[in-house]
Amino acid sequence: MKDNKNNQTPVEKESFYKYLLKKFTFLTVICSFVPLLLAGWGLAIYYTHFARTRITHNFSDQVDNHRRFIEQFLMEQSSKLRLIAYANTKDFLLAPDNLQSIFENINRDSGTITDIGLISSRGNHLAYIGPYDLMEKNYLDTPWFKEVMQKGIYISDMFTGFRNEPHFVIAVARPDTDGKWILRATVNTDVFRTLVENVKIGETGEVYLVNREGVFQTSSRFSGRIMEKSAADISDFNGTAVDILADATDETSDKYIVGRSWLSHPEWLLVIRQKYDEAFSEINHATEMNLIFLHISALTILIVTIFITRYMVKIIRTRDREAESLNSQLLQAGKLASIGELAAGVAHEINNPIAIIMTERQILLDQYENTNINDEEFAKQFMVSMDQISVQANRCKRITHNLLRFSRRTKSIIETVDLNSFLMEIIELMERDARTGGIRFTAALDEKLPKIKSDISQLQQVFLNLINNAIDAHNDRAIGSISITTRKETAPSGVSVSIADSGCGINERDMANIFDPFYSTKPAGKGTGLGLSICHTIVRNLGGNITVQSVYGKGTEFRVFLPFDIAPLDHEADNLN
Amino acid sequence: MIGSRILLADDEVIFAGNMARLLNNRGYWVTAVNSGEEVLKELDRQDFDVVVLDIKMPGLDGIATLKEITSLGLLTQVLILTGHGSLDTAIEALKLGAYDYLTKPCEIDELVEKIEGAWGKKDERVKKELDENIKKIEEMPSSVFDLYPKKKK
Repeated sequence: MKDNKNNQTPVEKESFYKYLLKKFTFLTVICSFVPLLLAGWGLAIYYTHFARTRITHNFSDQVDNHRRFIEQFLMEQSSKLRLIAYANTKDFLLAPDNLQSIFENINRDSGTITDIGLISSRGNHLAYIGPYDLMEKNYLDTPWFKEVMQKGIYISDMFTGFRNEPHFVIAVARPDTDGKWILRATVNTDVFRTLVENVKIGETGEVYLVNREGVFQTSSRFSGRIMEKSAADISDFNGTAVDILADATDETSDKYIVGRSWLSHPEWLLVIRQKYDEAFSEINHATEMNLIFLHISALTILIVTIFITRYMVKIIRTRDREAESLNSQLLQAGKLASIGELAAGVAHEINNPIAIIMTERQILLDQYENTNINDEEFAKQFMVSMDQISVQANRCKRITHNLLRFSRRTKSIIETVDLNSFLMEIIELMERDARTGGIRFTAALDEKLPKIKSDISQLQQVFLNLINNAIDAHNDRAIGSISITTRKETAPSGVSVSIADSGCGINERDMANIFDPFYSTKPAGKGTGLGLSICHTIVRNLGGNITVQSVYGKGTEFRVFLPFDIAPLDHEADNLN
Repeated sequence: MIGSRILLADDEVIFAGNMARLLNNRGYWVTAVNSGEEVLKELDRQDFDVVVLDIKMPGLDGIATLKEITSLGLLTQVLILTGHGSLDTAIEALKLGAYDYLTKPCEIDELVEKIEGAWGKKDERVKKELDENIKKIEEMPSSVFDLYPKKKK
């Protein structure tokens, strides 16, 4: 991947980092969201189930209790009536004021009974206490009369009857010597309704009774009035149950929790009904809170993830940049090394032909001495040419020597160097050349500069090269200056020599390749492109470094840092090579 | 020393030939060969004062040849004449007992100077050996064959 990255363009790299950012964010979000959601949902489902079961149970208990309560009330009323019927004779009850007294006694605590009457087996009222005028009525054909004559005790459904108001009766038939007589009481509808509806069931709750045929026995708050037919189908329903049902009449899709239970006698169905949303509002509230908590957690995770991922990618980016610069340095070093190998080979091969040239020259010189040549002109020219051959051959020797030095094959001699006086010598040497070109040298040398241990011949090569370059940088200028500064450095400890010129400067493109071998901006044939490369290698081998700063068109400054002493290890490595 | 016997080895045939001629011009007896093996062969055949060896040669190179020569225990001095690249090897050669080294290309006068130095050393060693031998002979007890009877004081 690393290799790929090295070949990537900056745009590709940028998209790679974006991809990395997306991938990291995605993975982290997935890894944290999935457990969070699983836990959140799991808890919500469990809690909802638990709460719903409890609410349903409570509802069921309420229905059961209320049914028992209503049954008990009806039982009580029936028992009371039966007691009256069986404890007294018909004659006693027919005697003036007796029934009135019993009626008042029954109703003393609560006005449960609206009226009470004594009816003969032929259906005629024998006595009647109550607010209605019913003495003349005959009940022979009424359903309840028939039922009570058969069963002995009977609680009727709601009916309107002679008084034209919804009511129900409890009747007891007492067999006597001259046939049966019936004691009948009407239960106060309002009292009964209050009793039935005495259940706390919130804003949307209602309680009512319906009979087998689905006729309302009490008025409900929302579903229908007394004596109306209910829309709900109850024909299949038995026992007691709590269900979640949609409303039969409602057009809305509201759901209801419905608790239903059959009374044993009479056959009435107790219905307690509440809107689902209200009954389960607590669960809904808890679920909402749960969701809010989940969302807040998710948001927090998302934000934290984005921050962490950004930070991580930033670190990776920095590391990559460092690795890249390291790689390019390695590449540079490798390049220099391979060039060095090549240079060494070339230099060695060139030395042999030059050696032959030198011997040939010497042979000619020997021959010349033993030959009598009278031509003065020829003799003069011959000697000049021979000298020139020697000079040029020695020049070649110097070049190959430098090439070999570049390849670090030569042994360096480490001695104590006084850089200041050494630099002054070089400046004096170069000044003669430079002055004709209008270039002035200035030296600002640190008087307290300590002496260093280094290779003087290699240093000479470095500084000659740098100063030569500085002079060449003024090629297109009439006047210029080169300033040479020395200074003691503390971190890392050593000395630095700066060579700054007011020349043409280096443009950015050349700056990148400045220490590459064979890279030259001079016209072909003028520069080998080896100068700075050799300087670079030498200074590195001497344990120092060389840096360059330049403003294009304004000038260049080379700064050479040298340690006080060459590390023994470097020196050793140098010899080995 | 005029008349010194020089054995010169270099795989560059022209260089070896030219050198032989130049040294010849300066009064030396020179034999030029082109490999290490030939050096050993010539040494086997006759005695030389100085051997001038190139280091980079195909087959038996300068260093190996030098080792062989040293093992022969001759008084002959070895001078290394090398291309620049093998300078480190030249230093190794000094450790192995070579008299000195020169780097190519070199002036003939430089080479002559070194040869003279080498010859001087050889001469010194010869004299030393001779003295030792004479001493040994002198210290020998008078034998049956008293060729040079000492004068009695």
